[in-house]
Amino acid sequence: MEKPGKTKMKPIKISRRTFLKGSGLAAGALSMGVFDFTSWSRTSMEGPVTRIPTICNGCGNRCAIFAYVKNKRIWRIEGNPEANGNQGVICPKGHGYVHDLYNPNRIRSPLKRVGTKFQAISWEQAYKEISQKINLILMDNGPESIFWVNYPMPNHGYALRLMHSLTSPHYFTHGSTCFTARNAAWNFTVGKLPANDLVNSKYIMIMGRNPAGGIDLGQVKDIVKAKEKGAKVIVVDPRHSETAILADEWLPIKPGTDLAFLLAMINVMVEEKLYEKEFIENHTVGFPQLEDEIINYPPVWAEKICEIPAKTIVRIAREMAMQKPRALIHRGYHGAFGAQYLNSFQTARALAIANSLLGNINREGGIYFSESANLGELQPTHPAPAGPSSSKADGTGIPGRYPLGSYGDGITHAIPELALRGILKCGFVYHHNPLRTNPNPKRVIAGYKKLDLMVVIDPVLSETASIAHYVLPASFYLEADDAVDTKHSGKQAQVTIQQKAIEPVFDTRSAFQIITDLGKHLGVGRYFNFTLDEANALRLKPFGVSLESLKAKGVLPVGPQWKEGFVKADTPSGKVEIASAVLNELGYPAVPRWEAPLVSPDDKDPHSFRLIHGKQAYHTHAMTANQPYLMAISRRYDMIRLWINRARAEKLGLKDGDVVQMKSMIGEGKIRVKLTEGLHPSCVWLPSGYGNFSKYLTTAYDQGLSYNDFLPTLFDPAVGHAMASEVIVQVKKA
Amino acid sequence: MARYGMVIDETKCVGCYACRVACQNLNHLRENEAYNFLEEREYGKFPNFHRVFLPVQCQHCDNPPCVSVCPTGASYKRKDGIVLVNEKDCIGCKYCIAACPYNVRIIKKEGYIEKCRFCLEFVEQGGQPACVTTCMTGVRMFGDLDDPNSEISRYVAQNVHLLKTYKEEFDTRPRIFYKKV
Repeated sequence: MEKPGKTKMKPIKISRRTFLKGSGLAAGALSMGVFDFTSWSRTSMEGPVTRIPTICNGCGNRCAIFAYVKNKRIWRIEGNPEANGNQGVICPKGHGYVHDLYNPNRIRSPLKRVGTKFQAISWEQAYKEISQKINLILMDNGPESIFWVNYPMPNHGYALRLMHSLTSPHYFTHGSTCFTARNAAWNFTVGKLPANDLVNSKYIMIMGRNPAGGIDLGQVKDIVKAKEKGAKVIVVDPRHSETAILADEWLPIKPGTDLAFLLAMINVMVEEKLYEKEFIENHTVGFPQLEDEIINYPPVWAEKICEIPAKTIVRIAREMAMQKPRALIHRGYHGAFGAQYLNSFQTARALAIANSLLGNINREGGIYFSESANLGELQPTHPAPAGPSSSKADGTGIPGRYPLGSYGDGITHAIPELALRGILKCGFVYHHNPLRTNPNPKRVIAGYKKLDLMVVIDPVLSETASIAHYVLPASFYLEADDAVDTKHSGKQAQVTIQQKAIEPVFDTRSAFQIITDLGKHLGVGRYFNFTLDEANALRLKPFGVSLESLKAKGVLPVGPQWKEGFVKADTPSGKVEIASAVLNELGYPAVPRWEAPLVSPDDKDPHSFRLIHGKQAYHTHAMTANQPYLMAISRRYDMIRLWINRARAEKLGLKDGDVVQMKSMIGEGKIRVKLTEGLHPSCVWLPSGYGNFSKYLTTAYDQGLSYNDFLPTLFDPAVGHAMASEVIVQVKKA
Repeated sequence: MARYGMVIDETKCVGCYACRVACQNLNHLRENEAYNFLEEREYGKFPNFHRVFLPVQCQHCDNPPCVSVCPTGASYKRKDGIVLVNEKDCIGCKYCIAACPYNVRIIKKEGYIEKCRFCLEFVEQGGQPACVTTCMTGVRMFGDLDDPNSEISRYVAQNVHLLKTYKEEFDTRPRIFYKKV
């Protein structure tokens, strides 16, 4: 495999002298024994244990946990049973990621790049130099030339505030590589992203979502409970996913064609009048337009496209209708229609409409609008900045560009393009690793390297950090207090809080402190004149709960209980928009219609496959492959392999464990294969989470491949998402 | 006197390995030292396909071959059903590893042999083993099989026709019972 890191980047060396100077304290601490696992484990089988309620950071779910500290070292974590999101349990990533606190790859002080090396510097020097450089860049190029991109954390509101203080519109999340097509479709249909009332459902269909692999603990617990009460579970997925293990039926759909399946299901529901008539009449607009369009999509038509038998589609539509409104199609996440295909927006629209036909919107056992905590404002105590006067340069929300894109998230993989065009000149990357999680890494590297100043905030030298001008070491989540959080929505809203379980091991600072420090150094300190406790107390004010009680419990219920029943949608009509006048005005179909994927494998070529990908339960994005406890699972169970359908593999002369050469229009690589009957023949499946190429990540380095090494830079023409499964690869025995 | 046992519902395991890492943490194990193992099996042909993860750990057998082959008495069975290794008496000869049909014994870096201990110290304080409490699908049930009112006893009584022990041909008489697919 030609690694992007090897061709485009010169290895950056931390000079030994300066590194040791900067990390003297830490090196001393490590040799004292308290952080040495063997000596700690010998002394610590007994001993006083403290329990601190906080939240996990092993992925984006931010599960509520109790951290146990024994003899000044983190011992283990447990799930907090009060939390909606994880209901008392914890996944392998949560358990494993705690060990990263003691990972020798952690950065021990701020770093500055000097030539091809990093030099350890003080926080004051880092802040001073960064702010001087930014001020010069903004003077020459205007405030919109700076950006902030992060994978959202509880503190992301403060990062947004920092950009708004500088009057830049350029705050981004990872969304365009993850979920923006799904969100856009739900927004256009019911006005917001709803939740699934899995536990009360009698019939659960899950398409392109794998909560048992891309773990959502609460959802899995609810699916198991629903099954125990007799619910039927159908999984529609090209791969026999981990969720399919729990399902009554697995429907191995041809990847990229979920839209055809859904249109045919809607066709059956409309033709056979299986839909919830009262709901359609009173709470939706545009049903007659749907009737006109859907006639084109009978199950026999869909069967040819999606390769699920017509009679199965008919049966499932009827079975679901029998259980309505306690029947649902999972609202989805990343797979199938989060950010995968040219037709992802239409697929998610069809999915939202199919649910609406079941009359399950805001019904028990259906799709519901969860209660989410609306935190209080810092103003008037701390006035909000005026914010930007220009719109985002990526074109999100702008007619003629990406009108269906999410302005709040931006198009994250457009950042390198905007840098190459000289529009973005400097920026911050926090808790995010675009060099590894964005498509087409060579292009991403070229873009980020074009920046006049790039500051990365991360605990380790990720691929992205390793090309930064400055790296600010954020404290590990177990070492830092943070902003109150609202991640655990549900039948009643909850607030949670991240609290420090132990003192920082190295010279690191909490991300909240880094953001406010930066504000002060960048001359907008007047917007950051508060302590974390003060800000947290103001945010909690509307709920009548104290910060102290939240700190004691870790999670608190706030606000009213969810009530069943559809009242009003946050759409222009106030109803569920089966047909959308806005979409029509923007030049898109008002009701969903069939759209083929952008690219498809060549049926006549035995080497041609679609490359699809997904999560394993023990890895998060590109973040955990450097964690020895989690990587030990991958190695022990031989999980770093490309899945390929057995019959297709045998035609290529492949045996289980053989090495193949995989090649796309932009990249190639070698990997061992797993032959399976559990995968659609038209695709190969690559577990995400591998393929790290930063030499500073000693466990993760050069293990497996990333799908991003094969993906060209694509922007869905309406939403702007990455279309991350629109890639055809050639697979040959190596 | 309690007689501990476990039920494992193999229809529910999705192969996430949370049990492995939760156990490693609770028992101070290194990344390559584990007491929980999963055996993945595939059945059928595309598209009629299914796969199963079988969680395997020390079966705490009532007829434990590890105990009978141990030359020093380091491997022993307690009255409460738990099979343990006394690390001070273990000479690391690995006879027990060869004798155990479940392949669940490991050599600790310190040189002695270890394996699942049913989180003994935790259980004695009224807790549950880490593999039980962390599992999102509730694969395992742990408790006192001699207490007719325990959850596990009631479950075993109701589901006895669905339960099997693993590798019965070795006549090890495990205290872990599997609900089969």
